[in-house]
Amino acid sequence: MNIQDPTPVRTVAAVADIEVDRAELDASIAQFVERNPDYYANAFHRIHDTTSGIPKTFNWAAAVFGPLWAAARGVWGFFWFFLILEIIAWVQIGRGTWGQLGADELARAAQQEARAQQFLERAEQARAAGEDPTRFETLGNNLMRAAESSRETAEAAAAGAFGILLAGLAFLVIIKLIQGVWGNIAYEKQYSRWRINPDAVVSGVQPRNLIFGLVMALAIAPLTVYRFTIEDVWPALTAFPADPDHYSGTARWLEAQIDAAARNGAGAFDSIVFGVRTVLDTISLALVATPWPVVMTVICVVAWRSAGPRVAIFTAAALAYIAMMGYWEIAMETVALVGAAVVICVILGIPLGIWFGKSERAYKFAEPVLDLMQTLPAFVYLIPIIAFFGTGNPPGILATIIFGMPPLIRLTALGIRGVPESIKEAATAFGASRWNVLYDVELPLARPSIMTGVNQTILMCLSMVVIISLIGGGGLGKVILEALQFAAKGPGLLGGLAILLCAMVIDRIVQGAFRRADHK
Amino acid sequence: MADQLTMAQPPASAGGPLHPEIASMTEPVVELANVWKVFGRQAPETIEAAQSGGITKPEALERFGTVIGVRDASFSVARGEIFCIMGLSGSGKSTLVRHVNRLIEPSAGTIKVLGRDVGALSDRDLREMRSRHIGMVFQHMALMPHRSVRDNVAYPLEVRGVPKSKRWAVSDHTLGLVNLDGYEDRLPKELSGGMQQRVGIARALASDPEILLMDEPFSALDPLIRLQLQDQFKALVDELQKTTLFITHDLDEAIRIGDRIAIMKDGVIVQIGTPEQIVTNPADDYVREFVQGISRLKLVRAHTIMEPLANYSGPPLNGAPRADGEADLDTLIDLSVAADAPVVITEQGTEVGIVTKSTLLRGIQGGKG
Repeated sequence: MNIQDPTPVRTVAAVADIEVDRAELDASIAQFVERNPDYYANAFHRIHDTTSGIPKTFNWAAAVFGPLWAAARGVWGFFWFFLILEIIAWVQIGRGTWGQLGADELARAAQQEARAQQFLERAEQARAAGEDPTRFETLGNNLMRAAESSRETAEAAAAGAFGILLAGLAFLVIIKLIQGVWGNIAYEKQYSRWRINPDAVVSGVQPRNLIFGLVMALAIAPLTVYRFTIEDVWPALTAFPADPDHYSGTARWLEAQIDAAARNGAGAFDSIVFGVRTVLDTISLALVATPWPVVMTVICVVAWRSAGPRVAIFTAAALAYIAMMGYWEIAMETVALVGAAVVICVILGIPLGIWFGKSERAYKFAEPVLDLMQTLPAFVYLIPIIAFFGTGNPPGILATIIFGMPPLIRLTALGIRGVPESIKEAATAFGASRWNVLYDVELPLARPSIMTGVNQTILMCLSMVVIISLIGGGGLGKVILEALQFAAKGPGLLGGLAILLCAMVIDRIVQGAFRRADHK
Repeated sequence: MADQLTMAQPPASAGGPLHPEIASMTEPVVELANVWKVFGRQAPETIEAAQSGGITKPEALERFGTVIGVRDASFSVARGEIFCIMGLSGSGKSTLVRHVNRLIEPSAGTIKVLGRDVGALSDRDLREMRSRHIGMVFQHMALMPHRSVRDNVAYPLEVRGVPKSKRWAVSDHTLGLVNLDGYEDRLPKELSGGMQQRVGIARALASDPEILLMDEPFSALDPLIRLQLQDQFKALVDELQKTTLFITHDLDEAIRIGDRIAIMKDGVIVQIGTPEQIVTNPADDYVREFVQGISRLKLVRAHTIMEPLANYSGPPLNGAPRADGEADLDTLIDLSVAADAPVVITEQGTEVGIVTKSTLLRGIQGGKG
C-alpha cells in the first residue's frame, strides 16, 4: 500500500448535472474588477456562456474612453494597440479639418505664375525692341497653363479634405465599436491570467495606471497629430538636435585611450602574437612544407576513414580542383589559419565552458560578453585589433577566435550543466573526487554537446576567412579581396569556389568523425 | 526468470561471522546523534529557535527563510540489521540517509560510521570510506550511460585504484550474485529497468562494503518486479550480512524488508520500532493512518494478543492446541480452526497465556480491542 494523504469524500455527479457555481465565480470577479463588479460579472458570464463566435457584450466605457479605459484597468496590450489606431484616425481627422491640403501645389502654382510673368515681360521688352517675342510668349503661356493645372490639383486636394475628414471619422467610429466589443473579451482574458498569478497581473482600477496612460497618450498623440497635419513643423521635431562636439570629443578620447593601452601593454600583446604565430607556423609547416602528394593522400585517407568512401571521392575531387587552379599553397595557408584559430578556441574554450557550466555566477558575468563577441560585427573589432596587434595573420586569427569561440563555450557549458545530478551524486557516493567526476561523468556525458560546439566553431572560423584578409590575413581570403578591389569576376568566382570546397571538405570530415564517435 | 537475485555464492571475501545473530546486533555500525539539516543561510538561528521554542517548518520558512530538512534525528543501526526509513515524499528521508556518507553536510549533530566520526574525516579519508565501506543504490539507478555494465559495477574499485584485471573479476562475480551473467558488455540502456537496478545493486556490492544505503531502490519498478526484488534483496542481504539503511515511501515494503522501521514526517522521526511494534502500537495518529491497511497476519505475534491464563474460565485445557509466543496470527488461525478449544501459548515450555477465538478475531482486527 502506498501511503496517501486522506482526501475528503466527494459525491460523483454526471457531467450534465453539474451546475455552474456562480456565487464563487462572482466573488472572484468582484475581487478582480473592484469597480462595477455586477456589470463585469454579467459580461464575463456572457463570455463564459458563449459557445461560438464573438460574445455579445459591449463595454461603453471601453468604447468611449478607449485606451484610457484600458490604461485604468491595466490592459496594456489593448491600450497600445488602440492608442496607435486612434492616433491614425485623429491624424486623418486633423488633415481633413485644419490640414493645408494642396499647399505644395499652391506654392508651385505661384512660382510658375511668377516665372510666366517674367517671360511675358521679356516678350513685351522684345516686342518693344522690335525682336521676335514668340519664343518668350510660348514659354510664358505654357507656364501659365502649368500653373493653372497645379492650382486645379490644389483645389481638388482641398476639396478632398472633407472626404478625408469623413474617412477619419468613420475609422474612429469603427475603432470605437471594436473597442466596445473587444473590451470585455480582453478584460476577461486578463482575469483568467490574474487567477493564475494574482501578484503579477493588474487588477481593479489603478489611478497610477490611469495617470501613466494619460501621460503616454498626451506625450504621443498631440505631437504626432501636429507633425502629420501641419506643413511647416518645428524643425527640432524631425531631426534630433545633436551636438557634433559630443561625438568628436568622445571619439578623440577613445582613440587616446586605445593608443595608451596599446603602448602600455605592448609586451603582453606581442607575446600573444608570438604564441599565436607559433601555433600557426607549426600547422603551416605541416601542411605547406610537407610535399603535396603526402598531404593530399593523408587528407583523402582521413576523409575515407572518418566519413566513408563518398566523402573521400568528393574530397579528392575538391583537392584536385584546388591544386589545378594553382591554389594549393594558398588553400593550405587558409586551412592553417582556420586550424590555428580552432586549436586555440578549443584550448581556451573548453576549460572556460566547463567553468561556466559549473559556476552559475561566472556564467552570468560571461553571458553578456559572449553575446557581444557573437553579435558585434567583425569590422568593429578589426580596428582595435589592428591597434593592439598590428596586421597580418596572427591578428587575423585573433579576430577569428573572438567570433568563433562563443558557441564552443556555450555548448560546453550547456553540456556540463545538462549532466544529470543523480549520476554525479552516484559517482561521488562511490568515492569519486571532483576530478574523477569531471573525467568519468561530466566530460563523457557532455561530449556530444562539446562536439557540436567544436563543429560550430570550425564553421564560424571558416566564415571569417575573407574578413581577416582586410587586416592583412593571407590565404584564399586575400584572393577574394584582391578580386573585389579590381572587380575581377573570374578570379573572384574561382577563389570563392575554392573556399567553399575547403569549408565543405572540413565540415564533412569533422561531422563524419563525430557521427562515428556518437555511434560507438 | 530474468529479474531474479540469487544468492548462490556470497563473495569469498565477505567473511561474515558464522552466527551473525550472536556475533552482532549489539555493535552499532551507523550512529546518528541529534542530526539537524537546515537549508538556508540562517540555519544556526533556525536550529536555536527550534531547540528553545520549537518552531514548525512553515514558521522557519517565514521567519528565517530556511527549510528544515531533518530535525534532531538520532538512531543507531546494528551490524547486519536492515533499518527502513519510511515517509512521504518531502519528509526528509533521502536527506537523512545522505548524511551517512556525507553527500550532505549536517547543520548540527554527529554521524558515526564504523565508529568513526564522518564529519571529521579528511577529503581523502571520506572518499576512502565511501568507496570501501559504503555502497549506495539510487531510485533512478544513476548508472553511467557511456560505460558498460561491467565498468559501471567496477567504478567504486576503479576510483580506489584497483587494477583492471582485479576489478573486472570482482565485477563479473558481483554481477553473478544478481544473476546478470552474460550482460557484462552491454550498455545500461540495453537493459530493462529491473535489470538496471540489479546492476545498481551489484555496483553497491562490488567493493564488498559493510553498509548499504538504499534510496528508494525499487519504487521506479513495476509491482511484480518490485516484490521479487524485495524478497531476493532481503535474502541476499541477510546472507551477506550487510548493514542496510533502506529508504522507502511504501510501508508494505518497509515491513517486508525491515528489521526495524523509522517513520519520518516533516523531517522528524516520529517512531522507531519493529514492524510489529509499529503496526500494533502506532505512536500517533499519523502512524496509525499508515498502518490501517497493513495485513497483521504475519506481523502480530501470539504474545501481543494473548490473555493471561488467570482470566480464563472455560472448559479445561487438556486437549487444547499449543503454540509458541512467537507464533504469528496466521499460525494461530490454523490451530484455532482445527480445534474447538482455545490455543495455549507457551514460552520455553511453560504456559504463559491463552488465545480464545474472540481474542484471535479482535487481534486480527487490531486496535479496537
